[in-house]
Amino acid sequence: MHNLKNCFKRGLEKKLSRRKFIKLSFAALAAIFARDSIFFKAIFAASNKEESFGRKNRGIKCAHDIVCVQGQNPYEITAKAIELIGGMQKFVAKNSVVLIKPNIAWDRAPEYAATTNPDVVAALIDLCFAAGARRVNVFDNTCNESKRCYFNSGIAQSARQHGANVFSPDHWNVVRAKFKYESPMENQPIFKEALECDTFINVPILKHHGLTELTLSMKNLMGVCSGKRGMIHFDIGRKLVDLADFIQPDLNVIDAYRVLLRHGPQGGNLEDVEYKNKVIVGTDPTLLDSYACRLMGKDPFAVPYIKSAIERKFGKFDLEQADILSVSA
Amino acid sequence: MRKKRPVSFRGLSQAFFLLLFTYLLWTATYPLNVAVPLKAVFGADPLVTFFTAISERILTEGLVLGAFILVMTFVFGRFFCGWVCPLGAVLDIMSLGRKRKDAICAANHKNLYRAKFYLLTGLFILAVCGIQLVWFFAPTVIMGRFISLNFIPAFTAAIDSALIFLIKKFQLYGAGLDFYRLLKSSILGIKTYYFSHAVIIALFFTGILAGTFFTRRLWCRAVCPLGALFALISKKAFFTRFVSPCARCNACVAACRMGAIKEDASYFKAECILCRDCIRACAGNNTRFAFPANTRKAEQKRPAFKSKRGVSRRDFLFLFCAGITAAAIKAGHKPGAIIKNAFVLRPPAALQEEKFLNRCVRCGNCMKVCPTNALQPVSFEAGFAGIWTPQLLPQIGYCEYNCNLCAKVCPTGAITDVGLERKKKLKLGLAKIDRRICLPWHKKKECLVCEEHCPIPDKAIRFKKELVEGKELLRPYVDINLCTGCGICVTRCPVQPRRAVKIFPTSLDRII
Repeated sequence: MHNLKNCFKRGLEKKLSRRKFIKLSFAALAAIFARDSIFFKAIFAASNKEESFGRKNRGIKCAHDIVCVQGQNPYEITAKAIELIGGMQKFVAKNSVVLIKPNIAWDRAPEYAATTNPDVVAALIDLCFAAGARRVNVFDNTCNESKRCYFNSGIAQSARQHGANVFSPDHWNVVRAKFKYESPMENQPIFKEALECDTFINVPILKHHGLTELTLSMKNLMGVCSGKRGMIHFDIGRKLVDLADFIQPDLNVIDAYRVLLRHGPQGGNLEDVEYKNKVIVGTDPTLLDSYACRLMGKDPFAVPYIKSAIERKFGKFDLEQADILSVSA
Repeated sequence: MRKKRPVSFRGLSQAFFLLLFTYLLWTATYPLNVAVPLKAVFGADPLVTFFTAISERILTEGLVLGAFILVMTFVFGRFFCGWVCPLGAVLDIMSLGRKRKDAICAANHKNLYRAKFYLLTGLFILAVCGIQLVWFFAPTVIMGRFISLNFIPAFTAAIDSALIFLIKKFQLYGAGLDFYRLLKSSILGIKTYYFSHAVIIALFFTGILAGTFFTRRLWCRAVCPLGALFALISKKAFFTRFVSPCARCNACVAACRMGAIKEDASYFKAECILCRDCIRACAGNNTRFAFPANTRKAEQKRPAFKSKRGVSRRDFLFLFCAGITAAAIKAGHKPGAIIKNAFVLRPPAALQEEKFLNRCVRCGNCMKVCPTNALQPVSFEAGFAGIWTPQLLPQIGYCEYNCNLCAKVCPTGAITDVGLERKKKLKLGLAKIDRRICLPWHKKKECLVCEEHCPIPDKAIRFKKELVEGKELLRPYVDINLCTGCGICVTRCPVQPRRAVKIFPTSLDRII
């Protein structure tokens, strides 16, 4: 026991000299200063500064306003629809960067029709590369845990196989949305990849939704928003049209191969899924969403964002005057 | 004279097992396709497997591996402490390069060295009485908890923020960002984990490390009950240390990191961890370890180690008192006595609260593997007995509908693996909407986030169209028959920081 006591004593006897005390204090101060000023500010402050007024639509003239193709194979009908609307060369230039934004929001298998069909995404990737794209990005801001969603929806595997760049978006790599008019979406953080692309291809799945009746191309754009997305649901019609105006997707491909009729947007019952075997392609989100609404036998005015878009004259909506091509493959 | 070997096999072995241990815990994440099941990691610790087997009256797969290690100990001695134990490796790293003679040795501080045996006896008596307390002292569990809840989150967060800093500072948005994403999707993990009150776990661990400043491996000498278990067995181990001829330089006495060597160069076999410090220190290069049967000389020179046979009066009194205390604790341990779990949400398919507290070894595997970071260590919300058990905090994360990874990694079955289909139907609790702050109820604004996120196929949160102030409004209602209390409605509720939905725990669906 004597030695043990000595041992403790020795530790206590190591006195702190004045010089050492001052040195230690300065070191601690320097560490705190360094932490507060350089490192952390560089990470967090800079991310909030960048602002953007969004993408500009290039106003591509297509062969038809809407092309709807019906068939058994989702890969083939997608390819056929793109071919009929004028080919992918119209949208994708050589050496360009393409963003494909499918719906990967939920941790569900493709059969449950809660996420975009992986074959539709695969077809689009192949067409983009055939048109000479340098790089194809695929991402979505998921609602369930992102790795599970990416893999269980089958999109990660299928897109990677076809050479696309699949990733989870980084919440620090964002810009703040700015608008020329007053908007409730002002300052919403938007992932940079959504803006830093030459072609934006929006690939929603047609399905039921509790609040907005249907999830369509404009609703799908919510996946490019970072930050708190819960509040978007209040006055959702106006906010989604502002977002569509901000992003201005070049091409919208609605996957209506499997359609979720009830218990959307997540589903979970195979009885709620109906096979429509269709893919609808168009450039104008309002027109396309109205058409999809009609396809499901619903009134476009019952869907808040279509109603808001029509009231604001954002895009065309008159299906009687539109050039619609509907074929069976 | 010190002979230096370029490579220390013991160091390599320790490094290998420490890295393996860290690697296995690191890979405890979705999709969990590791060759070695995580259950086996703590199964290799005989203290955890045998004592939970005794206290819980269960048989686990880990018993086989644990028994194998005990047999090996009977042959070689405390090889586990010196060559395998990850906590021992960290303690050795802490005392690296300190050569001074330790003030403490087994010959002069018998009471200090004896403490661990008393601890082991106490734990054993408690285990026989059906109370499992090894979780507090088991070294692999202490190490695993520190790695899972402190080291990995801090390490990944540091690398993550350093990479973000570099990318922003030097505008590496091309290849740099791609590399960052590759790291994130493979080893770093998309989500940077955070554990509330993890600092207590870190302090506990630091306290054990701080012991090395008094003397090397203080924990192993005085406290570790696993070391005590091995010491009991290795007293009669075959593998023995021989010194001949001995120059009486006492270099080995100073070098021994366990203080196991006496002044006359004989040693306490029970305290020897086969670290081979004495071989390296030996001036004449005359120390070696061998099986006595191989050398005739050894038979005669078997170290004189006289232990008191039988139980002394003091030992008897101690055991008697310990037994009475344990019985008293057990008597106060009536079913239903624990009602403090009223506000703690347990992971799905957890045992009934009383059994759960007893079975859980607090290894932190479930919290590490939970993909949404929902499982968090309890501090004192579930009573003192519930410290560091997992709870589901819906403010941080939710129970993923298609996931039962926590059941797959639990080493003792405190979270039972009932299969994914049954797990989806098990109730953790019940959601209740707080109409005083819920947007459609209180502010008459439209909001659907809870209904949208509800993973139940038929929706446990549904809307009813109601006429409010001349306007149609959708208002949420909870279906108490369908709701499982997974908590995603709380996680995603836009009313923050106080959410407009609360989960009330239920123990009806806990496994008996």
